[in-house]
Amino acid sequence: MRNQKLKRQLCVIALGGVATLLMAGCAGGNEAAPAPDRDLGTPVAGVVAEGVFDGVTLTYAASGGIFQDGQRDAAWDPFAKISGATFLQDAFDAGKLKAMVDSGNVTWDITNATQFDTARGCGTLYEEYDYSQVDISKVPEGTITDKCMVPNILYGLVVAYNTDAFGDNPPTSAADFFDTDKFPGKRTVSQSPYVDPQTVEFALAAEGKDINNVNVSDIDTAFDKYRALGDDVIGWTSGAQAQQQLESGEAVMGLVWSGRGYGAAAAGAPIAPMWDEWMIMVDSTAIPKGVKDPQAAFAAVNFYLGAEQQARMTELTSYGPVNVDAKPKVDATLETWLTTEHLKTGHAPNIDFWVENYDALSAAWAGWVTGS
Amino acid sequence: MADIASTRDRGNRSTDDGGTTKQGREPKNWRPFLLLIPAFVIVSFFFLAPLIDVFVRSITDPTLGIQNYVWLFTTPTNMVVALRTFGTSFLVTIVCLLIAYPYAYLMTIVSDRTRNMLQLFIMLPLWTSILVRTLAWLVLLQDTGPINGLLESLFGIGPLPLIRSTFGVALGMSQVLLPFMVLPIYSALAKIDKRLLPAAANLGARPVTAFFTVYLPLSRPGIFAGSVTVFILGLGFYIIPALLGSSKEIMMSALMYQQISGFLMWGHGTALGIFMLTTTIVVLALVGRLSKGTSLFAGRVK
Repeated sequence: MRNQKLKRQLCVIALGGVATLLMAGCAGGNEAAPAPDRDLGTPVAGVVAEGVFDGVTLTYAASGGIFQDGQRDAAWDPFAKISGATFLQDAFDAGKLKAMVDSGNVTWDITNATQFDTARGCGTLYEEYDYSQVDISKVPEGTITDKCMVPNILYGLVVAYNTDAFGDNPPTSAADFFDTDKFPGKRTVSQSPYVDPQTVEFALAAEGKDINNVNVSDIDTAFDKYRALGDDVIGWTSGAQAQQQLESGEAVMGLVWSGRGYGAAAAGAPIAPMWDEWMIMVDSTAIPKGVKDPQAAFAAVNFYLGAEQQARMTELTSYGPVNVDAKPKVDATLETWLTTEHLKTGHAPNIDFWVENYDALSAAWAGWVTGS
Repeated sequence: MADIASTRDRGNRSTDDGGTTKQGREPKNWRPFLLLIPAFVIVSFFFLAPLIDVFVRSITDPTLGIQNYVWLFTTPTNMVVALRTFGTSFLVTIVCLLIAYPYAYLMTIVSDRTRNMLQLFIMLPLWTSILVRTLAWLVLLQDTGPINGLLESLFGIGPLPLIRSTFGVALGMSQVLLPFMVLPIYSALAKIDKRLLPAAANLGARPVTAFFTVYLPLSRPGIFAGSVTVFILGLGFYIIPALLGSSKEIMMSALMYQQISGFLMWGHGTALGIFMLTTTIVVLALVGRLSKGTSLFAGRVK
């Protein structure tokens, strides 16, 4: 019996050894040589020297769809072709980013996040920009909202409505969105897992509140306004779902990302944007904290900001360019959805307030998306 | 976990058998344990280690303490969604049971050829992506979809709330989970000696009595195994409630995803995970007690 016990112990020790080895193997795999410091000179948006990043691999993580494909074709792949770098694409998930940063094994170099994400995570999840390495002289005014970002796209949360239903008498204000007597039918609103402060701001704008002067109790006011729509409000949990609901006629109106409204219109659905009152949105191009080769990442972002790249990006995605010199060639449908033509009637977000009161907002949002 | 327990049971039995043999053959006894190594490594690395990590995070993120559990129990949203998750999963289990039982019975009385066909029909959905199937339901069930269109043009009613309702979610989930109910029940029914029913009739039992007193009790292991599988799998559904339900049908997995990926509150998210795991185990233990005499696994009838 003792013999057996001994062998069993040996067995356990052996197993333990295997486990330790495996763990060591997992932990030891990410030791990379520090990135070289290259002399790139003064950056000019949209320009990169030939072959300067030979052998470098960069990964862009964003939210997929025609949006990411368009950015890849307009900027990342051309950058790779000229600079010699290899560009990979991945799907962004904030939880995954946190896991990468926490474990010190960051495999993304550039990400697309919201302005609120970068403002909240600047210095902890995202690297501060070295603006001497990125040419931001042509970026639209007011679109750099924290130290960890440059704008990624200029778009909006707009009311997209069905022209078969309201073609003769279209909605013209945020308040009209909530007026089910004048505009009967179902409306679709974001109920995605990701908090969207501008959905809240839109309801407050409809109430006639000044977005730059709100307080915490207004959050509930906003959600109550949506809840008061009762059966006339349905939710979308992804951009694709919003577009589907508009295209199928499931919703006659929706508060959706401008690109998704354009998607529905481009697919032939009778959908038009309401520009009289809308929410200006800017996404961030951000560099994850602990990125392996910051210089290469900055250079790629600098290239992305070029006028030509931005024009092409807009042509491919319908999202507004973040270079004031960009002159995209757009067709009639796309032109009606271009946010950059309507900046005067848009509400800019009150970022500071939402970053400060994020916990209150996220608690209320969790209630809103779970129907309680 | 029960899987391991039952395997260990069998392992012990073989050890006991070995114990009665002579000393000289003893070294053979531990060798079967080597067979466990792959399973042991997989379970400890890919299940136990992450689970421990999840638990540790739930009591240390952002600081050491039970604040995440306090948040969990004091936030009404969490309790509403937890109850809804168990309720929906229970409903789906009942629906699956009612559909699967006659189907499985049919499989036991038809020819081999037909049985293979029936089996194929039940397996086919498993080979199709869950997302594709759910989107197909979405197109069919929506207010502007063909079902509501037909109802309106033929009977002038509607649109009925087929989508964005518990009905839609339960329908979509039942379709996906049905195979997990049919197969265990079939394997239990196939083992029942069909002559027992004529025997019962011979003793004066009417068909209904014979079914409820003889056939149904013998099929209990299958019902239990199928129900437990469907119920537990149902608790984790995410995409079907998101697409076929409204915010009022959203389940626990969505709440966890939101805390982890949306709000980056890993303490909250992991606490929700531990809470779900614990309550599931408690529910299982209660059900196990209720169904004494049957086992979790259809194969091991005591």
